[in-house]
Amino acid sequence: MKRREMLQTTLFTAASAALLAGADDDDDFGGIIDSNVSLFHWPFRRLPLDDPGRLVAKLRSLGVTSAFAGTFEGFFHRDLSAANARLAAVCADHPELVAIGAINPALPGWEEDIHRCATLHGMPGIRLHPNYHGYGLDEPCVARLLDEAAKAGLFVQLAVSMEDTRTQSALASVPDVDLAALPAILAREKTARVQLLNYKPRGPLLPTLTDLPNLFFDTALADGTDAVASLIDAAGPDRVLFGSHAPFLIPEAALIRVHESDPDAATLRLILRANAERL
Amino acid sequence: MKMSDLSWGLPSREQLRGYRIWDSYFTPAHGHPGADGSSALIADIERSRRAIELGHFEKLCYFPHVGLGTTTDAALEKLLREKPALVLKPLERWPDLLLGMIQLNANDVAASLDALNRWLRDGPMLGVYFPGGGPGALTCTHPNFHPLVARIAELKGVIMQHTWIKTGGKQGPGESTPAELAELAAKFPGQEFLCAHAGGEWEQGIRAVRDSPNVLIETSGFDATAGFIEMAVREIGPERIVFGSHLPSRSLGTELSKVTAADISEEAKKQILGGNFRRLLEQ
Repeated sequence: MKRREMLQTTLFTAASAALLAGADDDDDFGGIIDSNVSLFHWPFRRLPLDDPGRLVAKLRSLGVTSAFAGTFEGFFHRDLSAANARLAAVCADHPELVAIGAINPALPGWEEDIHRCATLHGMPGIRLHPNYHGYGLDEPCVARLLDEAAKAGLFVQLAVSMEDTRTQSALASVPDVDLAALPAILAREKTARVQLLNYKPRGPLLPTLTDLPNLFFDTALADGTDAVASLIDAAGPDRVLFGSHAPFLIPEAALIRVHESDPDAATLRLILRANAERL
Repeated sequence: MKMSDLSWGLPSREQLRGYRIWDSYFTPAHGHPGADGSSALIADIERSRRAIELGHFEKLCYFPHVGLGTTTDAALEKLLREKPALVLKPLERWPDLLLGMIQLNANDVAASLDALNRWLRDGPMLGVYFPGGGPGALTCTHPNFHPLVARIAELKGVIMQHTWIKTGGKQGPGESTPAELAELAAKFPGQEFLCAHAGGEWEQGIRAVRDSPNVLIETSGFDATAGFIEMAVREIGPERIVFGSHLPSRSLGTELSKVTAADISEEAKKQILGGNFRRLLEQ
């Protein structure tokens, strides 16, 4: 059974949510799913965990049994077909890693990349980098892409940022993705399932975003001692997923932060695993 | 796997206690303590309590405004000057937990020198904080710093200088970079300086102060980017690194993990998490 099919068999349902809510606080929960890791080399420095084996060992030591893995090659490379194939090959050697291919709808033939991610590699989702790929969310290709992904049964991860704009190389300075157009798009593309990665959950757009039922969030840049708790309050416990942005960020950081926010046991089960299974 | 099996990314309680964590950069209500001089500050300290307890912190050092014009609120500045007892409220409420270093205004040398006598010479404050933004900010290479640093050195105070290196350049005229702090530090070789945030963009920040033995870097204020502490230990040694939490606007997760998850020795972690800051304070 392909990994994507396996994940689809564990789709979260209202019934399972009710079961989770009633689960014993210390029942086996299956381990953490990290919805936001990346493989290969960060373009601007070597990272302590940029070897997939070391990364997996670290994640394992933290209780992470599965991780959605994108590729750092995904935001500067143009031959994304090859980048995604390399990603899939490495993930095949590590059962903990679920490959999430990069798609650039500004490139010719991106539809074929989606097709390959879904059928050739058996990926459950794809990852977008609109700021690195130079398109806005209001461009027609975005709605088309979401539609194609939904038809292929893929969820879409939208990386809002990869690095603080204040610390980027001056020669590769990339602003965060402007999300202003996203509410209108997701209101139309109701079957799309989109997760924001590396989004700082604050600012005037937050209430609009948290009102979108098909939009999910991760914890990687929910910084501040109570930021994860505030995000859960704003979006609801069923739309926040644990995500670390490892190995660029230290994976312990996001995990301590979840603990620091002190959610109840039922909410923890959702954030650490069940919401990712549902996605 | 059960929830109770998780370490949550933290060292054991015994390890955390063994580190004897002294936080050099606690920022409750950092920009404004509340119109009454303390309510927002105290609320933010309360807000940080869980993180403080999870981290088993022994001490936290914060940076009170003392009426030197370091905020834009004229009424607050007047209140703090007229009722300095308000400044002491948090220290009185948590005497075993909190330490203080006053926010100085290098744009107003005379008032800052008076404040050094009032708060450092006469106590209970242990040093000063030079801000990087707001009306109290001034780039630390400005000559106004010279009489202030000389007096702080006489009083054996600790100096924390806010620093950042931002892509695209400074966002305010009063900001300082690690290179500028190194320039100031060279003029006062007998005084040690804390380079807050290691410049934010730490790969340049560490290099900028590498050859300045009287400059130590502080660890907070930027994302938990992997490799920071490893590079800092390699380039300047663990004895020149001081932990800061930046709570509550940053998280325990972001700031503590930089040190506890780093691939360095346990002895180095102890130095960074508390030993080095204690040494500075005890001079």
